Amino acid sequence: MRRRRLRPVPPVSEQSSDAELLRAIAAGQTAALRVLHHRHAGWLRARLRRRCADPDVVDAAIQDTFVAVWSDAHRYAETSADAAAWLWTIAVRRLLSVLRGPAHRWLSSPSGELPDVTTAPSAEELVLLGVEHGALGPALDRLSPELRHLIEATALDGLTVREAAKLLGIPEGTAKTRLMRARIRLRELLT
Amino acid sequence: MSDWHVDADLLEQYEQGALNPSRVMAVETHLTACAACRGRVPVDITWLTGNWSVVYDHIHVPAIGPVQRLLTRLGLPEHRFRLLTATPALRWSWLIATMAVISLAVVAALLAGSGQTGGANRLFLILAPILPVVAVSGAYGPGVDPMHEITGTTSSAGPALVLWRAITVIGAAVAVAGVAGVLLPGPGWYAAAWLLPALLLCTGTLALATAWSLQAAAGVLGGLWLTVVSFAVNLWSEQFILLAFGPFAQIAYLATAAAAAVVLIRRRRHFDLGESR
Repeated sequence: MRRRRLRPVPPVSEQSSDAELLRAIAAGQTAALRVLHHRHAGWLRARLRRRCADPDVVDAAIQDTFVAVWSDAHRYAETSADAAAWLWTIAVRRLLSVLRGPAHRWLSSPSGELPDVTTAPSAEELVLLGVEHGALGPALDRLSPELRHLIEATALDGLTVREAAKLLGIPEGTAKTRLMRARIRLRELLT
Repeated sequence: MSDWHVDADLLEQYEQGALNPSRVMAVETHLTACAACRGRVPVDITWLTGNWSVVYDHIHVPAIGPVQRLLTRLGLPEHRFRLLTATPALRWSWLIATMAVISLAVVAALLAGSGQTGGANRLFLILAPILPVVAVSGAYGPGVDPMHEITGTTSSAGPALVLWRAITVIGAAVAVAGVAGVLLPGPGWYAAAWLLPALLLCTGTLALATAWSLQAAAGVLGGLWLTVVSFAVNLWSEQFILLAFGPFAQIAYLATAAAAAVVLIRRRRHFDLGESR
């Protein structure tokens, strides 16, 4: 295993920041993974449950997420990403692979490759942060559900169009067209 | 960032799916960005502990050792390795017995010095073929395996399991005895002379086990070997080693072992599950 570190990592506590926890996890501290799990599993579950109605699949996705974090924590670069956003990108992709995977999930390998995505907030996410106050909220509400789901999957979950298509169970071409239509429609509603 | 935060009411409506889409988006985006609001999401502690224990088990799967990696490369499936190593009854009793007998023979040989080693060599050659048989007799059956009742009800019980275990223990016993044979003073071929008698006794035991229990078969054949050999030692003490382990005797051992193997293959359906009949 690649659990060697040049300098020892100080022990973690409940107050440690996410970045410190991930550093300790990369150094092989199970306690750090436990703190991280207890801190993040709750909201990840609440959010994943809105994407998938099957609680077993959601639980499996969360477990897979933290197993993946355990083996790949060294790939987390704290300069470029917020830890919560990083975890979410892993979790939503784990959900995808549990949904698409073989019927018996223990047969699939628990930790696949992590996606190389930048987790810096996109322009759409920055706009969404203000969705509570601006004119965007009503506009989104008036969007038809299938168009809105695509906006959610791409802008909110940070999925690529292809992954969003898989999550929604539609062909990739359809997803592209719908996303384009959704953007045109939003622009109409906002002007 | 704004000073807008998700309050408890909003969170509850979010979890129940009662919010309209734009507010759902607002809550989710805010949760990603705000640690304080993330901490406010209510968590069922029972669920959290259960979920964590699964993660914990996953990351503590035992690492694959070098022996298993070698055997896997040689084509042994992983479940087979588990099956063989997860049987503690197989491991210790016969391993300790084998080591004890072998080291006794080696020590005796070394004490006798290089001048008079005939007796120690004789002792080794007589005892070494017995060891794999002893090992096989401890490999299967209600007397030696505390899990036998449970194993017996599985689909892998019976001839296949007996043979797998026998191969494992014979392999280990032969390796130990082989090392001891090399350590013994005396002509080099002594180190290998006992292998064919051991093969005969092992296949004979397994063939006999199609009629009796494994332990009875091992006892009968082992006792027979010891009796005949000690009788032969008394009869021709001078040329005993040449007679009992010379080329003609070796060919006879091989032929008999082949015959026993044929019997074993033809009667393999009669392997009992440790009951004598």
